[in-house]
Amino acid sequence: MNLIERFLEKAKSLDRRIVFPEGNDERIVEAAAFIEKEKIGHPILLGNKQKIHEHLLKLNLSPDNISIIEPKSSPYFHELTELYAARRKNVSMAIAERLLCRELIFGGMLISANKADCLVAGASNTTANVIQSAALTIGYQDDVSTASSFFIMVLPENKILFYADCAVNIDPDVKQLSEIGITTARSFKKLIGEEPKVAFLSFSTKGSANHPLVDKVTQAVQLAKSKDPTIDLDGEFQADTALVKQVAEKKLKESGSVAGIANILIFPDLNSGNIAYKLTQYLAKAEAYGPVLQGFRCPVSDLSRGAKVKDIVGVSAITSLQV
Amino acid sequence: MEIQEIEKRVKKVVSQVLNVPEDTIKQGSRFVEDLGAESIQSLELVAGFESEFDISMEEDAALNIKTVEKAIEFIKKYVDAK
Repeated sequence: MNLIERFLEKAKSLDRRIVFPEGNDERIVEAAAFIEKEKIGHPILLGNKQKIHEHLLKLNLSPDNISIIEPKSSPYFHELTELYAARRKNVSMAIAERLLCRELIFGGMLISANKADCLVAGASNTTANVIQSAALTIGYQDDVSTASSFFIMVLPENKILFYADCAVNIDPDVKQLSEIGITTARSFKKLIGEEPKVAFLSFSTKGSANHPLVDKVTQAVQLAKSKDPTIDLDGEFQADTALVKQVAEKKLKESGSVAGIANILIFPDLNSGNIAYKLTQYLAKAEAYGPVLQGFRCPVSDLSRGAKVKDIVGVSAITSLQV
Repeated sequence: MEIQEIEKRVKKVVSQVLNVPEDTIKQGSRFVEDLGAESIQSLELVAGFESEFDISMEEDAALNIKTVEKAIEFIKKYVDAK
């Protein structure tokens, strides 16, 4: 059983309410119908009812067990609009009504009002739009100020590593980098169920080089440690020191509890993170799942625009496991 | 609608959503750098303009607008087409 199959099985026992704001997209409709049929979760499709019914008929699927909501005509519309306007003091009811007509905002407010558990979008919306809508409606976790993302890398020997951030933050500052480390550790614990070992990566190992780029990483490690001392995190490390025990023992006087056995790699910027995940994928023949968004109060996922039905189902399972 | 009227109403919406005095909003003002907008407020600004002028704008293009002047030009196209 591969990792996604394991996630799908686990999701079945949770029965999460997954809201899909892009119900007008045929791939989303097909994925939602599969999720309902296989009892992976309870999908809620947002969009034009007639269009969604047409998609279902075309796919020879029954609309009977699928929840479909048209935001504007939904019985929740007024309640959610009032809730939004009450939270955002500069937003009038008229503006809030316009916002709630947008499926991404309506979907986020369904979660905010505890009428859904998690949200999967991005098949036809930009990442920026998904993140901004989620930030406005669901909001960030208490000690988090920015959204970030991670990739689940499954190596051929079934070793699992999380890479972050390889998709969202181009040049995170010290605070953002520390948050990426903390939120990725939490995501790892929730999804994999093992203790996270977070290595903050650099071209330097514990002071072997002096440079402002190294300082950023060491400061992020200190900040992350002070924010959440319960997480096993350390750095700055070169990648080999983080991953290979013999190298860690050779390069460090005291290797500590992360060096050599890291299962989470935090990259200093998007250049290094994005390059590293693609190299791992193609040269090491690893499977890469993601990017999975993190940092919000409730899970939100950003699909690739080219996502296929099976990708949407897999991402939905990952998202529902993060609740 | 005259461009001056559009400008006046655009500034009213910007003032309300970003909570800045109307007289500090200039044509060349940039939403983020000059008026202190957070990136997430761009969606609220777009909804504010749509509500004020009763138009529906192409969202991705609207979200890319960075200045008051560009917003006025962009909205004028929709108002003229009504």
